Amino acid sequence: MQQLKPFQQLLVCATLLFMGSVSAAAELRVVTHASFDLPKPLIERFEQESGVSLRVVKAGDTGEMVNKLILSKGSPIGDVVYGIDNSLLGRARSAGILDALPASLRGLPVAEGMGAEGIALSGAQDWLPIDWGYVTLNADKAWFAKHSMDLPKTLDDLAKAEYAKLLVVQNPATSSPGMAFLLATASAKGESVWDWWAQLRQGGVKVANSWSDAYYKDFSLNGGDRPLVVSYASSPAAEVFYSDPKKVESPTANVFLPGGVFLQVEGVARLKGGQQPEAAAQFMRFMRSVEVQQALQTTMWMWPVQPDVAMDPVMSHAGKLPPVAAQAAMGVDDIAASAEAWRRRFAQVVLR
Amino acid sequence: MTPSTRRGLNASHLVGWVPLLFILVWAVLPLARLGWEGWLQVQDMGWSLLWQPWQDAYLRGRVLWSVAQASASTGLALVLGVPIGWVLVRWHFWGRQWVVRALMLPFVIPTLVAALAVMALWGSWFEQGPVLLILGNLFFNLCLIVRGAMGGFDSVSASRLAAARSLGATPWRAFWRLEWPTAKPAVWAAACLVFLYCLSGFGLALLLGGQAWATAEVEIYTRVAHDLDLPIASVLALWMLLISGLVVAVYARLSLSRVERLRGDRVPVRMARWGNGAWSVGLSLLVLLALNFGPLAALLVRALQASPAAWQHAWGDEAWLALGNTLRFTVLGVSLAAVLGAMHGWAARASGWWRAMGMAPLVTSPVMIAFGLLLLWPQWLDQLWVLVCAYALLAIPLVAAPVAQAVQQVSPRWVDAARTLGATPWRAFWRVVWPQVIPSWRRGLAFAAATMVGEFAVTLLLSRPEWLTLSTYIYQLLGRPGALNAQAAWVMSASLMALSLLVFTLLDVRSNTKPESDARSK
Repeated sequence: MQQLKPFQQLLVCATLLFMGSVSAAAELRVVTHASFDLPKPLIERFEQESGVSLRVVKAGDTGEMVNKLILSKGSPIGDVVYGIDNSLLGRARSAGILDALPASLRGLPVAEGMGAEGIALSGAQDWLPIDWGYVTLNADKAWFAKHSMDLPKTLDDLAKAEYAKLLVVQNPATSSPGMAFLLATASAKGESVWDWWAQLRQGGVKVANSWSDAYYKDFSLNGGDRPLVVSYASSPAAEVFYSDPKKVESPTANVFLPGGVFLQVEGVARLKGGQQPEAAAQFMRFMRSVEVQQALQTTMWMWPVQPDVAMDPVMSHAGKLPPVAAQAAMGVDDIAASAEAWRRRFAQVVLR
Repeated sequence: MTPSTRRGLNASHLVGWVPLLFILVWAVLPLARLGWEGWLQVQDMGWSLLWQPWQDAYLRGRVLWSVAQASASTGLALVLGVPIGWVLVRWHFWGRQWVVRALMLPFVIPTLVAALAVMALWGSWFEQGPVLLILGNLFFNLCLIVRGAMGGFDSVSASRLAAARSLGATPWRAFWRLEWPTAKPAVWAAACLVFLYCLSGFGLALLLGGQAWATAEVEIYTRVAHDLDLPIASVLALWMLLISGLVVAVYARLSLSRVERLRGDRVPVRMARWGNGAWSVGLSLLVLLALNFGPLAALLVRALQASPAAWQHAWGDEAWLALGNTLRFTVLGVSLAAVLGAMHGWAARASGWWRAMGMAPLVTSPVMIAFGLLLLWPQWLDQLWVLVCAYALLAIPLVAAPVAQAVQQVSPRWVDAARTLGATPWRAFWRVVWPQVIPSWRRGLAFAAATMVGEFAVTLLLSRPEWLTLSTYIYQLLGRPGALNAQAAWVMSASLMALSLLVFTLLDVRSNTKPESDARSK
């Protein structure tokens, strides 16, 4: 190297660097939210079998992710998006960022547990459901035992002063579980929901900014002062899975109030203007494969959509899940039409 | 103007254009692009939109509260930090060097963990609200004032102080008429920085203050990231920019006063003894413990209480990836900021405008920059060099300000002497001016490294799982339920603190660590 003149040295370096950056395989860009997590061996096996290298881009919280996709739709930042759920699908559709599904992936059957609503979602032409879960209340069992209080049974119970001051919710404007809880209560109570929320505010409900804030700062299980928190139905199961020392029973319990449970279904879709249509279809098929549907239960803490996939034993700690038909259902387009107005109304009624 | 200075001015302005272009491209352009997008959405509303933040009671309240809490925090930090800085520079005690090194640790802690640590310490006395928020602000920012004051008081000329004392001035009068005016530029720079950080504070305000006491930046973030309501967000960001710009202008004016001290004329540090300095040292350490180190100690205690299973869960494969990435990004970002910051500091040595422009990255809202970049160059946002540039952008002001100060303090006689002896302008700079600037530059680099490890706002850009850093990893742990995850988060935060302490030790400025012998000290 020293014998070459400086310019020639530079040329050699540049060539070596350039050669290093040329990738051998085709690249599929996947846009996801911050909670996307699959075991590495599964992803590596997919890359080997399909000949496509996966390039995952995390774009923040689900709502942020959809907004970033809408802003950049002129020149999309990915080819495939995972993580758009039924509360944001309408928004994504009206912004025109989703492309049609390949014919082979349309109308795939979904698990029975998802009920009529879930089955209706499986008929989408531009979005493939991958996993589902419930947003509901979690209660700190030890706190309620110590204070000899019963858990609330209905939404109206929750609005009473003695329960309202025990609750922490998330701001629907900044948190997707917060939005889900608001959607559930609003679709169950109709117009009177705002009086209900005003009652909660008077009773002393706390509003946190995100799930992490509420769960780790305000939830009494982790040192806070509120024994009721809006979280996921799988959280008690995760508490057992990640318990230290190992527990056999979950320290939290799901509280399924009628009208206080939201069915959340996440899916994968192709982005309009994205490249690699073949690889995108392969990835979507991969997400519906039995191995991934099995694994995502303990990595993303959602239930599998594919029928006949074995439930992971730890998920039994979530207790008996409510039948979906008992919950008031909101269509994807209805959600999209009302979400923004309800967010603002919430801010007015509860926050200001 | 002599020919040498004229030539010197041209060269330095050319040097200054490189970092300025960098700031323009990465901070100003995205802001303008996002603002333009917002303007396109409300063209018919016209200029009346500009007054909306002041007409709407809620937004007005947010803006006024942001300014109020930033002013209160800055004022308190000044009142507490300046005396502590003076004590740390004048008195020596066992462990002083470690106290100075550990001052910057609050910066590296992720916001959620810091809020939990502050609540662990103060949560039983104060509820979520304005007082806790100001305590949280002090936790993060007191160290800035202390360091600024230390740098300022360090440049007091010992011979002048001795002359003042021998002419009959009491210690207080000597401080007020000689030491404080000398230290003022450095302290004002630090105060400006503290004000900007508190004003644009986002996570801390929500965690410790609650929704009722959120800052304007929270509104901007919510509207841009979650509502895509660009018009109001842009207008709000514009007003916050104007307010911050005012503060920056005041800082730029105040920081221009020049101070000259001969080398070797530093005031000697004295050993604190019972009856002579022990009270000052004790009181300073108590305040630092309460506000600065207390929450860190609470964090450390929780980490040490974690079970071995939690340590194992924390230090899995992902943790090592995160560690490697944090080091890699910090080194790359600090290197870039070191060069650009030094260049800007040199260009800004004599001009208030340049100094003010150097603060631009701190004045603009990070979420606006992130989303503006998304509009401008979406195809590049998942590349490594963009991430490094974003890190460097937020660190340039931190390096440029002390460098500008130090360059201003170098006497022009040195440069003239070098030039008359035959040195070229570059050689005169490199061999005469630069060695005198290095200590301030290193101070700036330590600060820059601290903010990079703590990852201020860079996470708003697109991130890739292979770019996992320690901060992001901690947030990932706190994104799932479970005692293992909670304990692992404490463990990783303590590890982060240890890593940063190592980085600060390496970047440490070799100041007068040992006290002078009794015969020479007073």
